[in-house]
Amino acid sequence: MAERVDVLIAGSGFGGSVTAWRLAELYVAAGADPRSIVVAERGRRFPNHTDFRQSMHIDHLSEIYMLVQGDGAQVVVGNGVGGGSNVYLAASLRSPSETFERRDRRPGDGPDRRMWPAEISRRSLDPYYARAERALRVRRPAWRHVSKAGGLWAKTLAAAGHTCDRVPLAIIERRCANVNWCHTGCVFGAKNTVNTNYLASAERAGVQVRPNLEVQSVRQTSARPYRYVVTAVALGERSKQPEGPPIEFEAKVVVLSMGAMGTPPILMRSRPQLPSLSEHAGRHLGVNGDHVAGVEYDPRRVRDVLRLPPYADFHKGKPITTMTYDFWVGRRGNRWDGTRFTLQEIFLTSLTNFLYDDGREPAEPSWWGLQKKDAISRWASRIEVLAMVEDTHDGAFYAAPHSGSAERPNAGPIAIGTFTYRFGEQSVRVREAADRAIRGIIERRGLARFMKLTETQGAYASHPLGGCRMATGPDLGVTDHRGAVFGYEGLYCIDSSIVPTSLGVNPSLTIAALSERCAEHLVASAGDLGLPARPPGFAPRTPDEILTEHVRRAA
Amino acid sequence: MDLRRRELLLRTGGLSLAGLVAAAAPAARALGQGRLPGPVDRDAALQAFADTMLPGRKVDRTESGAPVAPGAIAGVHPLPGAVETDALALYRHPKVGFDALEPAFLADLQRRAGGDFVALGFDARTRVCLDGLSFDNPSRTLWEAAAAVPFTAFCAAALSEEQTAERAAGYRVMGLPGRNLRGYRRFSYGRRLSRERTRTGSLP
Repeated sequence: MAERVDVLIAGSGFGGSVTAWRLAELYVAAGADPRSIVVAERGRRFPNHTDFRQSMHIDHLSEIYMLVQGDGAQVVVGNGVGGGSNVYLAASLRSPSETFERRDRRPGDGPDRRMWPAEISRRSLDPYYARAERALRVRRPAWRHVSKAGGLWAKTLAAAGHTCDRVPLAIIERRCANVNWCHTGCVFGAKNTVNTNYLASAERAGVQVRPNLEVQSVRQTSARPYRYVVTAVALGERSKQPEGPPIEFEAKVVVLSMGAMGTPPILMRSRPQLPSLSEHAGRHLGVNGDHVAGVEYDPRRVRDVLRLPPYADFHKGKPITTMTYDFWVGRRGNRWDGTRFTLQEIFLTSLTNFLYDDGREPAEPSWWGLQKKDAISRWASRIEVLAMVEDTHDGAFYAAPHSGSAERPNAGPIAIGTFTYRFGEQSVRVREAADRAIRGIIERRGLARFMKLTETQGAYASHPLGGCRMATGPDLGVTDHRGAVFGYEGLYCIDSSIVPTSLGVNPSLTIAALSERCAEHLVASAGDLGLPARPPGFAPRTPDEILTEHVRRAA
Repeated sequence: MDLRRRELLLRTGGLSLAGLVAAAAPAARALGQGRLPGPVDRDAALQAFADTMLPGRKVDRTESGAPVAPGAIAGVHPLPGAVETDALALYRHPKVGFDALEPAFLADLQRRAGGDFVALGFDARTRVCLDGLSFDNPSRTLWEAAAAVPFTAFCAAALSEEQTAERAAGYRVMGLPGRNLRGYRRFSYGRRLSRERTRTGSLP
């Protein structure tokens, strides 16, 4: 017997949590019961910040991450209630205007056109960016709160005649201990995940969040006012494998918010029951132009050239604090679509040692061996630079996996993605340009050594986008500008999967802003979909900040 | 594209295969299950390979107290290496699942070594690994998977409960103190260090 709900939201990351909160406040305003909104989350719940750990022990990584190994790319995604917000690095930037005007011209990807629907521009998104910034408590750090690694990048850029900006962060400075462990979940409650605002407020209003529940497929039903039957399975908290019989929900509205690694496979699995689904479901998967490089400083040159005290402090501070836009705007060579990139200082993890080639001759080992070991011993003198380039979305799912969004062979952190990724010409060209730019900046006056990304298994990404991109029609994409799936009333994708291009900045704030916009449209049409109608005078408000007792005491 | 279950299994490596090594499954299949040439000390061979990836000082025991196979560590680096940080235990960890690839990998390792890999000196081991990790090697992904394990053991202290430099030799070598619940005070240069292009941090 299916459980009947008004709205089933699959996924509790930025997209799912924003939608849950906006629907919750609609229900409260309309005098309806938000308990008929259910959020299904495949990961476990971390009730308190102290349930996270400053640890890359394989058991903890298995709880909070999923590393999806596809053919040609490795993609990191968040796990657990709160989704990617648990493990994101809190950089909260608005994507530049140029992003929304892009015309990719990727071979075989339709006519020359603006990639985003006409309704979406930076100007049209700005009010939603502002809304998301308020909810996530985004602040630009003062210079005294910029990490040494970020300061070193800023000074290096300045010495080369470039500008460098401080990056707005969703971090509460007074709670931040500056220990660079955001990536395994902040134990101080300083990083603003959706668990302290959107999702917490939705739950307090009555929305039900069900951890360890993974949505598998969606099919239509004629049992009006219900439109869809959603099939899910309970996952063992330790085994991560399906346990027990399938669980069904009948829902008036279904919102898929499992992200670019999650939503496309679910729709593809559902295709036999959703025959009008666009053929673009599962295609145009992107990695936000992620491209990293290592930079190993010479301590003497830092002192003599940059006039900074000794560094060796890569582990201190916040993971992201500074970036330059000089290769996005202001340079003739980066004027055209597909040539632009930003360069951001970032602390990924100590594990990323694996990623960097220390640049020796081809006949010698470059990313392993004796000299690599020596290089690792100088790790603390490094910074990492994340280039976010204007690449094209070059990946595609070739099938839906048997269960969930990826084949998960055991309870470990790694899953097998059923997708391929092969960089297109533009994607290669713009990455090479980013490498040249970084090298030119850091090698000037012998400041540092450039360590390029190793040529192992293709793309490494933590910002998957696309797979169900928004477009002007089903001939070019899966959803419209509101996240509504073409041809299926009441079925939405509201997450990173609808983003049609790379963004030039870390994507979380844009995903949140797009979700705010999609949710506003959903709320506006709620009455037509059998949900409570939006009452006159209804206006969205900022979700409260809801902290655990532990954080309140510490603060 | 719709794929039948069998085809999908072929492309993804099958459900018995563990994650970190997922991409290497086709390479392992291409090599077959790998019959090892003669008796081979598998532990020693994996430790010798790990030591070639991230070499270290000679020790008899790992950080967790597990034995190190005689001759596995070449001893070419004065600081702790991947063997000391329990790379072997990570190879055998059920959440990694390298067991599915181990026979094929070890067979290829021994074949390229022309015998017992452990018996080779460090330079010869390095040449074997250059060969295995060469882009010309069709089973390169198998070797990359095998290489990822010692890096994870060393750089992420993936089997260390403590996650401190005192207890995780990899962190110690890297100059990474590890977990820190008290915070750092001198984490910033504390002053403006460049001109800024924007007023808010985001471009218009």
